[in-house]
Amino acid sequence: MADVRDIMELERPPTPEITKETIIGSDKPKKRLSNGPKAPKRPEGMHREVFALLYNDTKDAPPLFPSDTCYKQKIDLTMRKPRKWTWMPFTNPARKDGAVFHHWRRPSDEPKEYPFAKFNKKIEIPSYTDAEYQQYFRDDKWTREETDHLMELASRFDLRFIIMADRFDTEKFPTKRSVEDLKDRYFKIIGTLAKLNGEKKIYTYDADHERRRKEQLKRLHERTSQQIEEEQFLLSELKKIEARKKERERKTQDLQKLISQADNQSETPKKADKKIPKKKLTNPSRPSRIDTTTIETAGIKFPDYKNSGVSLRSQRMKLPANVGQKKSKGIEQLLQEMELELNPTPTEDICTNFNELRSDMVLLMELKSALGSCEFELQSLRHQYEALSPGKTLNIPSQLLSLTENENKQVNSAEIIDVVGSPGNPNT
Amino acid sequence: MSLLTDFGPDSGGRIKGVCIIKPIVYGNIARYFGKKREEDGHTHQWTVYVKPYNNEDMSSYIKKVHFKLHESYANQNRIVVKPPYEISETGWGEFEIVIKIHFHDPNERPVTMYHILKLFHSGGTTDLGMEAGKGLVSESYDEIVFQDPTQFMHHLLTNTKQLTLGRWEHNTNFEEKKERTQKVILEAKQKVRMEISLLKNKLKLARETISQFKDEIAKVQEQQYM
Repeated sequence: MADVRDIMELERPPTPEITKETIIGSDKPKKRLSNGPKAPKRPEGMHREVFALLYNDTKDAPPLFPSDTCYKQKIDLTMRKPRKWTWMPFTNPARKDGAVFHHWRRPSDEPKEYPFAKFNKKIEIPSYTDAEYQQYFRDDKWTREETDHLMELASRFDLRFIIMADRFDTEKFPTKRSVEDLKDRYFKIIGTLAKLNGEKKIYTYDADHERRRKEQLKRLHERTSQQIEEEQFLLSELKKIEARKKERERKTQDLQKLISQADNQSETPKKADKKIPKKKLTNPSRPSRIDTTTIETAGIKFPDYKNSGVSLRSQRMKLPANVGQKKSKGIEQLLQEMELELNPTPTEDICTNFNELRSDMVLLMELKSALGSCEFELQSLRHQYEALSPGKTLNIPSQLLSLTENENKQVNSAEIIDVVGSPGNPNT
Repeated sequence: MSLLTDFGPDSGGRIKGVCIIKPIVYGNIARYFGKKREEDGHTHQWTVYVKPYNNEDMSSYIKKVHFKLHESYANQNRIVVKPPYEISETGWGEFEIVIKIHFHDPNERPVTMYHILKLFHSGGTTDLGMEAGKGLVSESYDEIVFQDPTQFMHHLLTNTKQLTLGRWEHNTNFEEKKERTQKVILEAKQKVRMEISLLKNKLKLARETISQFKDEIAKVQEQQYM
């Protein structure tokens, strides 16, 4: 409160004496209260912030309080004495000259053999006798001296052929030897020797293959950026071509499927017609087996209600979940066009027929869209033809032109063959 | 009646291959007060019901019928254990009533139906009939199908009594409706099949034409490249 008053410069009290009481202020509250309600007063000249530290109206405990509890135990680093390291000499058995090196080591560790000495592997290079050489290893391209030099290099550089090729004595042996040549000669000798010793595992080396491989890698590495771009372009073109081919194949397959489905469908109505009069005689309340094995080759697959238990007949007319929104909307529209109920009275026969009807409707819609895409393809083919040979054109059969308009005239067209019975307009 | 069928120990107490069908009618009738009631604004009296389609006492196999009304009604869950299975109420609005039929055999799961309570005439798909002094009726026909009933249930289902000695009639003539529906569906089916075969022929022709066109194009292309 005092702060606010200070800021607002309200009622500046006369300078009080600075005593312990005026500073701490809590000794005689009653007396102060009697003096006036604005009890502890800030001494003249004392900063507001400093005064607030000494005294505030609410007399809260200080917000921070030292505590003994510690959140995390500190690690005592003085617990153990540090162990010693010493600068010690050692020898590496790989060095034949007995050179002495130094390194840091714990004196407590037993002086053992240099631990990295075991990595100094030596490869056993088999040798041959003069007789063997004369008998097996004679080669037009290699002299005895050169072969000996090769074997010596092999043991000196532990079969690191690249180094061997580099260090090959070209002054003594002027013939240029590639890494492959060296490998070829070396492995041939090793192989023959192994065979002589009766070993089963014989390494062979195909120098030509290796040369070809390196050549290929070299070419791959030395391609120019244009070549790379061209290659990428060709690859993407290839992909496109393949995708188009697949699409075409898929389309023709779909069409084939649709047509065969339609074939099946057109056979069924006769059967269905026969069934109905018989079934009408049966009283639906009497127990009878349900024949749910309806022929549903296309369109919608309604689930079989063969499971034991109670169900409602109307449930069987529900469209399965796999029928999409588009299809079910289409069915609804067709039903409305034909002025049929969306949920007819569910008797067994009506259920079966209604489900078959809707399945047929889906097939019908699929056929329509297939025909639409066929028509589109025909048109584009015709344009293609016209572009190729100007002045000429291809005739699209009249009944295939503009589906929706011609549908009504279709029946009259003489070219329609398989119209099932009833003449007249199918849309009336 | 197919009573003694093979029910071995592995049939789970169910009689395999037996199917019993119980047709029912459910819906509501509603009567207009003629004016809005002062105290609560209600305008109609209505009754929602489940009735057997044939004259029989369904209580032999139905344990209870559960009507779930709109939540604005006091105790919205109403349970009826004996016929007539109906609830009468007053109100001012239409809503969906959930009707659940429970059977005496706990092994048979209850069936659920949904009925939109109708108070006002509308040109929708439901059956609305105005009969003198009766108000309006909105009811549906359905069939409860008991596939492979349990032995107990089978016994209950096949031993039902008549509900009344008098005539058992419904507000809607379902027999006529069934026949009519069957007829229009069959006609529609015929029509759709015909269209399918038409389309099929067209499709065949289209395919032939497409391949013919392609051949023509190939020919022209060949000539041009020669």
